[in-house]
Amino acid sequence: MREKMTEKECPLQFHDFKPVDHSKLCPRFTQILSRTEEEGIGEEELDTIQLELETLLASVSKRMRQLEGETQVLIDWQDKKDKKGSMGKVHKDSDHPHSGKRGRPEEKASTKKFKGDTASTSSSTGKWGASASTSHSTPSSHSQSGPGRPKSKQANIQQKMQEYEFTDDPLDVPRIPKNDAPNRFWQSLEPYVADITHDDLKVLEELMKPVEEESEYYKVPPLGKHYTHRWAQEDLLEEQKEGARVNEKGKSKSALGGSSSANITETSAMLKKVDSNSQKSRDTETTCPFGPLTQRLVSALVEENIMTPIDDTSLIDSSTKGEGQSGEASSSSPRSSSSRPFSVPHTRALEARIREELINQGLIESEDQTGEDTEDEVLSELKKRQAELKALVAHNRSAKQRLHKLAKEEIRKQELRQKARVIDNEVMDCFRKIMAARQKKRTPTKKERDAAVKALKEREAVMKLLDS
Amino acid sequence: MRRGRGPASASSTTSSSSALFGGESATSSPALDTRIPDLLKELHQLIQQTQEERARSEHNLTNIQKTHERIQYEQKGKSKGTSTAVSPYFKSKLRGLYSTAKADAEVEADLLRKCLDKIAQIKAIRNERRIAAKSAGIFMEQEPPRKTMRRGVLMTLLQQSAMTLPLWIGKPGESPPPLCGAVQAGSDYVAKPGDKVAARVKGPDGDEQWILAEVVSFNTGTNKYEVDDIDSEEGKERHTLSRRRVIPLPQWKANPETDPEALFHKDTLVLALYPQTTCFYRALIHAPPTRPQDDYSVLFEDTSYADGYSPPLTVAQRYVVSCKESKKR
Repeated sequence: MREKMTEKECPLQFHDFKPVDHSKLCPRFTQILSRTEEEGIGEEELDTIQLELETLLASVSKRMRQLEGETQVLIDWQDKKDKKGSMGKVHKDSDHPHSGKRGRPEEKASTKKFKGDTASTSSSTGKWGASASTSHSTPSSHSQSGPGRPKSKQANIQQKMQEYEFTDDPLDVPRIPKNDAPNRFWQSLEPYVADITHDDLKVLEELMKPVEEESEYYKVPPLGKHYTHRWAQEDLLEEQKEGARVNEKGKSKSALGGSSSANITETSAMLKKVDSNSQKSRDTETTCPFGPLTQRLVSALVEENIMTPIDDTSLIDSSTKGEGQSGEASSSSPRSSSSRPFSVPHTRALEARIREELINQGLIESEDQTGEDTEDEVLSELKKRQAELKALVAHNRSAKQRLHKLAKEEIRKQELRQKARVIDNEVMDCFRKIMAARQKKRTPTKKERDAAVKALKEREAVMKLLDS
Repeated sequence: MRRGRGPASASSTTSSSSALFGGESATSSPALDTRIPDLLKELHQLIQQTQEERARSEHNLTNIQKTHERIQYEQKGKSKGTSTAVSPYFKSKLRGLYSTAKADAEVEADLLRKCLDKIAQIKAIRNERRIAAKSAGIFMEQEPPRKTMRRGVLMTLLQQSAMTLPLWIGKPGESPPPLCGAVQAGSDYVAKPGDKVAARVKGPDGDEQWILAEVVSFNTGTNKYEVDDIDSEEGKERHTLSRRRVIPLPQWKANPETDPEALFHKDTLVLALYPQTTCFYRALIHAPPTRPQDDYSVLFEDTSYADGYSPPLTVAQRYVVSCKESKKR
């Protein structure tokens, strides 16, 4: 993986952090700067200044965001390299300073409420008895919560169930299993409405990371051996094997083992010789160093007249007179090149010039790049799929980022809700104390009243935060 | 269909407000007189400070630029096959540079925000004065100042107020507040005196129209607003309306580059101010603004066109609010 890390491209974007050129974009701003203290600013200039300051501020904010993004990328990159072997996941506790604390109050609360923490209602009566005393007070506070608290909802259901059952308890023990359905239903819902944990956030972040494996999907592998060559070679090998097997009835196997590998190299050598032979014959006979366009052009201009070779020179002359500039360029070249040996770079440049000229004249279209690809259907398909992959990856990445942002928001809100729950309990405690005092027929002490007022105020504050 | 609104209104320019102000003495106070020049002085100083800060941080930014170039040059210089990764030395150097640049940018942003706050303060004071003058000015003859306000001037005022609507530039992680662009106000939001709103009033001929108006007061007892038509001729001035007939206009512009979700999307039904009038009509968003100073492009519902909609017209962010009513009979 280390090799992959060094090969892949740098994820930094190297934003251009040039500051706003205020002399160009904010003329009023610049003008004010040059004024002295006495001259000051006029009231009527406020509007223009406001617009210019807003422009400056917008560019500064954008810069800050980019800087933050880049810094985060750098941190992740470095941490990934450092903690490759040991940890495995980057710890981003700078974002979630209270991640550790968050899990614990939840746990404590839940264990306090129902010890054992099983969702089934086939719990013992002893458990009901223990939690019956708390059941009266807690459902009221829990019932106000939204759907985002399944654990407490479960507790709610359980306790409601327990309340319900508590009255019938001595008589209707066998009826309990029938009422299991709502419990099972809420249980099945739990994964959908459960609170988001920091682990989920980490999973999201992990999901956003892996970009490394994709680079290999974008590579276009080099063309392998053409199937005709390969099949030809394999066929030849087969035949050799057949032949060898026929001859085997007298030879030892070890000799054969040695010769089979030799056979393979032999066959490839043979095939190569065949190919090169055909190539050579093609070379000597028909291959011309001039590009295809040049050849076509010249062949169009030169009249095939085998019977009168003497007229060739005159024909070439007439063709030069007859044609335009493109004709001239090409017809002059055979004349010159017939006197000289073919020089390859010259022909390539010539081919390119002719091509350009023909495109300018509008005689051919510059589509030969795509032409090459359309012949290779596999390549075009591969390219199409790569483009799809790229689009999908980008779309996924943006969706994941959005999700990540929303998850962060949600976690923040959850923490607030958690705090609200805790404060609710405090309020309930104070309420109970006051009720107890009233029952004892004495007025609640100042301390109790103060505690109640404080708890109520805290709750209001948290509720306001939650609503905003 | 389009109601042309007459001239003359009570929303005055600074010159006429100072004329009104000079005339009466009931609500004036000498403190206000000196407040604005003081604030202007402070603004001037702040602006100077901002520029100093910017000049300072520019040095760091050029450093970053140079480091970028070096890194990119080294990456390109190495041939394919060898490592193209950024060396740890560069990484740590970049991190240090980025953190200084971030700190600088924060300071600069702070200063800029202070400047903008000062400007908002000055504007608020001016606005207070104007309202105070208006309410006191009922007792003096105001025909001359009013008649000087002609239609063109009113339109220019409207345009100016749309342009100078403050742009919401949140810190990274902040989401746009209510009444920024398309973000709706809370259900218990009460518009303050001086806020501009879209109000549905019954005209003298019985039909209802959404007009541009300014809040005078809100009566918490009866839950009704008192609004002033900003383009007021005789008999069209003050209306008393229930809350659901009043829609507050946005108090901030949304920046399309940083908060595109605070803008109305294409094909949303909105109420938009028809250009060169002071009435709101139903429209569909054709295109949201692309830059902070741009306007929405909207299609007004207009039965005089073949497809039922006008060609795209531009309306500033300030004068576009969401439309909650269904299609009327």
